[in-house]
Amino acid sequence: MIPNVIEVTKDQLLGETQKMAANGFRFATATCTDLGEGKLDVLYHFDKENDLHNLRLKAEKDEEVPSISKIYLCAILIENEMKELFGLNVQGMAIDYGGHLILGVDSLKTPQSKITIEQRSAK
Amino acid sequence: MNTKSTIPFGPQHPVLPEPLNLKLVLEDEKIVEAVPSIGYVHRGLEKLAETKDFNQTTFLMERICGICSAIHGQTFVQGVEKIMNIEIPDRAKYLRVIWGELHRIHSHLLWLGLFADAFGFESLFMQCWRDREKVMDIMEATSGARVVISVNKVGGVKRDISSEHLTEIVRICDEVYADLKKMENTFLNDYTVRHRTEGVGYLTKEQAYSLGAVGPMARACGVPQDLRTLGYAAYGKLGFQPVMETTGDCWGRTSVRIKETYESCRLVKTAIADLPAGDIAVPVKGNPSGEVVERTEQPRGEVVYYIKGNGTKNLERVRVRTPTFANIPTLLVMLPGSQLADVPVILLTIDPCISCTER
Repeated sequence: MIPNVIEVTKDQLLGETQKMAANGFRFATATCTDLGEGKLDVLYHFDKENDLHNLRLKAEKDEEVPSISKIYLCAILIENEMKELFGLNVQGMAIDYGGHLILGVDSLKTPQSKITIEQRSAK
Repeated sequence: MNTKSTIPFGPQHPVLPEPLNLKLVLEDEKIVEAVPSIGYVHRGLEKLAETKDFNQTTFLMERICGICSAIHGQTFVQGVEKIMNIEIPDRAKYLRVIWGELHRIHSHLLWLGLFADAFGFESLFMQCWRDREKVMDIMEATSGARVVISVNKVGGVKRDISSEHLTEIVRICDEVYADLKKMENTFLNDYTVRHRTEGVGYLTKEQAYSLGAVGPMARACGVPQDLRTLGYAAYGKLGFQPVMETTGDCWGRTSVRIKETYESCRLVKTAIADLPAGDIAVPVKGNPSGEVVERTEQPRGEVVYYIKGNGTKNLERVRVRTPTFANIPTLLVMLPGSQLADVPVILLTIDPCISCTER
């Protein structure tokens, strides 16, 4: 239902993002969704003249994902947010808030993750 | 010898109604580095949305922000309507524009007042908020609430507006227009005010675009970006044109917001003049299944909603990127090189809504 979606791997992510920048796209935001069983779905949204294009990356929770903030500096906030709230392991962010952009030192880790009752009680 | 000192600006500061922190590195009074940070009042509303019926989620999304609650609700229901292939009645589309633009008028008047207060012009602040009260009163009269008016629902709107109230709205728009015309001269031409805004917080068109600036922040730099040009709701039939400036400074952002208020008054009056008769909602059956990215133009700029349904009454994911979240990175470029005394003025020109950002 979402138009203009390109599926990418983590190795292709920076190359495809670079193409977006070269073609004059603005970085709008990214969306992380926890698919359960340690899998995350990340959509990077780009806009040019109100035309929305998207890159879709499937990642495992512990898998290292490169930061796009060296290409789009404005990605720093959302990348830090996805790292803290979902546990997306983003590496190489231009500004790394060290897990404390949103969460405090005693906050629940990755609070927007899907978690079963058994996992919750084991924490 | 230059010595650098680091000071915190916020989270509690007289110019900030909501908590936002800037770590400022200074050489004397000049800023050489600024790092913004949030996270003081995060509410986890996106997670909470997963536990609610999709109709209940409309109420939740309206509570992301008090200043643009109607447009939050509208964006959410528009997204769900797209997933469910629901075509709403034309009258509902026009009513959404009327309430949405009234929200934009009161938001811009609120900002203009706060901005006047930030540079020490208290009587101007009071004039702006006096006019804002007229808009708040008509929202209460038409919806029963001043702030979270809760008029949108999946399938249309919950309330109609009576012909008496439509006449009253037109009268209020004329009054606000006339009053703001008098204030415009002070905001844009007064020597002292210009001294605080001209050339301050400068951002080039290229910087605004690459930093992902949205709304008046982008348009004041000459970026022609306003999602109302997409024609959602009834905007496609109202002859909407985005307001632009090219100065890229605090003066330009003020000018854009003043002229957008005029344009909102015109849009409201045109929507009322062209308001079609008929139903205000259609019945909705079933649950949303699929995903959508929905975008609209709030007073502060583009808001992005990602909605994913799985065929049950609960949505699998609701993600909201608010305009302030997109405009915060511009501070990384605007603040270095500025004087410490200009920080409140520059910061306010992004119209920071932390309630939105910390959804």
